[in-house]
Amino acid sequence: MSPSESKLLELLDVSHSFPGVRAIDAVSFDVRRGEVHGLVGENGAGKSTLINIISGVIRPDAGNILLEGQANQLTDPVTARKLGVVTVHQEAEFFPSLSVAENMALTQGLPIKQLGMVDWKSVDHDATRAVAEIDEQIDVRMPAARLSIAHRHMTQVAIAVLQQAKVVILDEPTSALSAAESHWLFQQIERLKAAGTGILYISHRQEEIFSLADRVTVLRDGRRIWTKAKEAIDRDGLISAMVGRQREADDGQPSFRPKPGELPESKAAPRLHVRGLGDARGRVREVDLQASAGEIVGIYGLVGSGRSEFAQTLFGLARKSSGTVEIDGRKCDIRRPRDAVRAGLAYLPEDRLRQGLCRGLSLRANAVLSSLARWSTGPVASARKEKNATAELLERLSVRHRSIGQPIGQLSGGNQQKVVLGRCLLTEPKVLLLDEPTRGVDVGAKAEIHRLLRRLVNRGQAVVMISSELPEVMENSDRVVVFRDGTVAGQFDPRQATPDEIATAALPNETSSIAQSASQSQARANGATARRRSNWLRTVREITGIFLIPSPCPLPRGARVQRTVISRTILSGELGLLVIVIGLMIWLGLTTDGFFEPGSLMKLAANASLGVILGLAAATVIIAGGIDISVGSLLALAAVCAGMVLKSPFSTALTIPLAILVACGVGCAGGLLNGALSLAGRVHPIVVTLGTMSIYRGIVVALRGQHDINDLPQAFTWLAVHPPSGFRGSILFAALVAGAAYFWLAHMRSGRHLYALGSSPTAARLVGISRVKLTLIAFAVGGLMIGVAAIVELARSGSMQSRLGTGWELQAIAIAVIGGVRITGGQGSVLGVVLGAFLMQLVQTALVRWEIQGDQVDVVVGGMILVAILLNHSWRRDE
Amino acid sequence: MKLSGSKRKWIGRLLPWLLLCVALLMVFSQVQNPRSLINVGVPWARVGALAIVMTAIILTGGIDLSVASIVSLSSMVMGVLWRNGWSVPSAAIMALVTGIIAGGFNGTLVVVGLPPLVATLATMAFYSGLALMISGAERITGFPESGLVRIAGLPTEYWILAGTFVTALFVIHFTRFGRWCYALGDNPLAARFAAVPVHRTHWFLYAASGLVAGLLAVIYTMRDGAIPNVHRGIELNAIACVVVGGTLITGGRGGIPLTMLGLVIIANVDIGLSFMSSRVEFFKGEARLVVVGVLLIAIAVWNEWTARDDAKEVERI
Repeated sequence: MSPSESKLLELLDVSHSFPGVRAIDAVSFDVRRGEVHGLVGENGAGKSTLINIISGVIRPDAGNILLEGQANQLTDPVTARKLGVVTVHQEAEFFPSLSVAENMALTQGLPIKQLGMVDWKSVDHDATRAVAEIDEQIDVRMPAARLSIAHRHMTQVAIAVLQQAKVVILDEPTSALSAAESHWLFQQIERLKAAGTGILYISHRQEEIFSLADRVTVLRDGRRIWTKAKEAIDRDGLISAMVGRQREADDGQPSFRPKPGELPESKAAPRLHVRGLGDARGRVREVDLQASAGEIVGIYGLVGSGRSEFAQTLFGLARKSSGTVEIDGRKCDIRRPRDAVRAGLAYLPEDRLRQGLCRGLSLRANAVLSSLARWSTGPVASARKEKNATAELLERLSVRHRSIGQPIGQLSGGNQQKVVLGRCLLTEPKVLLLDEPTRGVDVGAKAEIHRLLRRLVNRGQAVVMISSELPEVMENSDRVVVFRDGTVAGQFDPRQATPDEIATAALPNETSSIAQSASQSQARANGATARRRSNWLRTVREITGIFLIPSPCPLPRGARVQRTVISRTILSGELGLLVIVIGLMIWLGLTTDGFFEPGSLMKLAANASLGVILGLAAATVIIAGGIDISVGSLLALAAVCAGMVLKSPFSTALTIPLAILVACGVGCAGGLLNGALSLAGRVHPIVVTLGTMSIYRGIVVALRGQHDINDLPQAFTWLAVHPPSGFRGSILFAALVAGAAYFWLAHMRSGRHLYALGSSPTAARLVGISRVKLTLIAFAVGGLMIGVAAIVELARSGSMQSRLGTGWELQAIAIAVIGGVRITGGQGSVLGVVLGAFLMQLVQTALVRWEIQGDQVDVVVGGMILVAILLNHSWRRDE
Repeated sequence: MKLSGSKRKWIGRLLPWLLLCVALLMVFSQVQNPRSLINVGVPWARVGALAIVMTAIILTGGIDLSVASIVSLSSMVMGVLWRNGWSVPSAAIMALVTGIIAGGFNGTLVVVGLPPLVATLATMAFYSGLALMISGAERITGFPESGLVRIAGLPTEYWILAGTFVTALFVIHFTRFGRWCYALGDNPLAARFAAVPVHRTHWFLYAASGLVAGLLAVIYTMRDGAIPNVHRGIELNAIACVVVGGTLITGGRGGIPLTMLGLVIIANVDIGLSFMSSRVEFFKGEARLVVVGVLLIAIAVWNEWTARDDAKEVERI
């Protein structure tokens, strides 16, 4: 095959800029069939931008990208994926409230069958096949939030293999994987190579690059420096190309560390002495650890071995269940981070982005955050002292920055890390706990941080450094402590032990795996009994399943304790609500005469209709991640407009359909306005709808003042209530809306995209879901429903007051929340909302019996919302 | 219209002041007797005091929709107790206690982990319903004349506003507590990891909100009595002041003086419109609603657009 034919992916002079920064500058390289092409470069070199361009997230300003010789194909993430370019991002963005299977399907675009409905069978099937490749017992129907980071990455790779991708881009794939899982990854890479897939492998880990890559491209400052075949590269050349300068003499060499035989006798007691530490969740057990002045203790272990959990328990972030901690010989009772800081501990979090940085705050604010007491006299904080301290710190740590007041989000990763480290240092700690201090940090800053640590311990502090890079641990620690299964598995002298010894100690060994499988088989036995007893529950669920959206919380497959199964299903979402509703109905039936007569039941249903429709309107918007407190005013506006049409002097055969149309139109328009303003103005929907609530109400009052809307035509009011037959049309409207909503939200692609958007806007962007389009759709549909509700209410009451709708904002949201819709978005069901509306109506009926009327009912409404969200909150905590 | 970032920021900073001038002009060009403004402004002083505490809460990324209901509840408690024979001072103290308890309950809910929006939405309903229940939805008036409703010639609400403003200004901008608030609004998880006392900070803010509400309730009741449903909607006005002033609803950015600015703008616009309504038919009640709504959205949008440049981080490359 000629060189050009074997090129799968080719970049030609691709450039891209962001405001003020030229991220990529005329980069050209290619990825061939069956090759692993390594891409290396420091942070800030442009790798992330390049990945985003290739995967279709960004369109480059200039240049061409050829896929199998053809240009302009990678227009968006979904198309790129369909064409066979699969990207496994480092930050595995996903949709936590959706099932694993749906997550997987969304990356390709949900498959649809006839009528535009989602093909759930195929979704489940593909997911199960992919998961089988990983050889694990993953339940594809469980919410993806329960999947570990490692598994998330692995499922994405598995999909790429199954779908016979053409080009696979792996961004720091092993950063979250254990050694065994990395081994599995490398096997998959071999499979992909054999199948002719081109692999772009981005990693900071040079050993991996050297062992896997056929060719390597180096990026620096947005430019391609060179591309060479593996044989032609030497380590130093690689690093100097990345860094742009000659590798410093002591890079990679342990610096300032005493040579063997030169160790000073450690006379003083250790600064940190931990005995038998265990955490309440059982992820850390019986840990003994010491750290003395002048020494760096390196903690090495696989992901899941409890290293971070140990540090966090020590620091007071997680609850301790056993053990003692002594600092400088004094016993410390550390219950929260404040106690730890006071005792002389400092902790550098593992996840800089989520746990370390206050992105919008200045360098100064970030730096002094943990040590504020030092820069204040009494209660008064001194800006001057803070600024001085920060300036000095930034100088000392060589942080490249523009000004102290600049937002920390503008710095590069390495510099950000230095500031967060500086925050720890400013507390003048006796012992430093550092969790992955050089993760995501470029080579230059990495070396600086290592040197800094050595300087710190030479001056008397003790440092405990957690790292998953064995070379880093071995080259920089005085003692290596290996963690395995939540406890210490061994200690090594890095100067004398071999990497193999240490790595082996970190692997789960035979005894522990035998014990593990024993407990697994016991659990499986329990599960079998549980399954027999819970079969009837399963049948019930399958029947009600017809009405349920593919809920991400099904009966757990296999080994779960029986109690959990039952409590989960009884209390979970819809079934629980159903039980409560039925219970309340039975109670009311027993205590009220004639409750179960068809007429009175119909009346009940009719009264609940408005709640159903408005609850669904609120739910639609909330599920998509928004909120709408203008519901009541919009309802009134739609009603007033419809009312005006009805009162016009034309025949009812014309005005009634027109009125319905007008109401729906006004509702839709109002909803669209809310959505558009919040998108275009980038203002939180709550502020926008606060404003529009006022605006709509004002218009209503103005219109109402000028038009009399009373005594609406009988033909119209019959829509809601038909006295001769007793039939209540409101029920029909509600059923129609509920049915359409269910069909859309559960089975149509755009409806599922709504859930995805609410679940994770960032992940939605990556899979090509248009936030703008979907937000507008959500608000528009919500508004449409409000229009229908306006007709129902208008028909029911036969006239209209300006007050119409006030208070419904609260009720609509209450019904949605009680029905299981999560206020943060991404979760909720139509059945739940319907049940919520019924519950609300039943409660109000019950309250009337107790002679609690009018606005006093709000006590109960408020109480119900509280109970609902408290319950919701506590289940989620258990997960 | 492509404006450079710094020019936009400049105009952004200037705009509220421009609006302020317009608003003040609206009022002062029409007012016959400036002294009458003192009484007209009392409800807005109430809104302002609540808005100031609301600012601190919004800075931490939270919100308190229940302030109006707490005012109602405290007012009713005071009224009911007085009607049952308690002395005015002791009834007043109980009203304050009610405010603190109600605010503290909000704080507890937030500390437990509930989203403030829904939690305070629920307590808003709960407290206002409770107020109606204990009073049987009746008005309780006829409180004895009290020297406390006017201090040094000004209605006490103004003093409460001033006191709240000074206290909040000091606490938020000059103490550790204030720094903690900003951190919590920007990244609650990182704040926790940085040893910021998360729970205490949240709880205190919501309790303070309840306290101020209780205080306002006492003064109102002493002057006008305990009246059902009269305080409805204050929370929305308070939030509007905060937003118009420039504090971002998402937290982490903004400040106390800004809210004062927002308060003065909205109050004057509303008062100015009400003056105009007596002469120009168009500006009656409903148009006011529309104008305030449009103003709120327009300014909120503007604030977001100008704040965008400040916080704009270089895309991670």
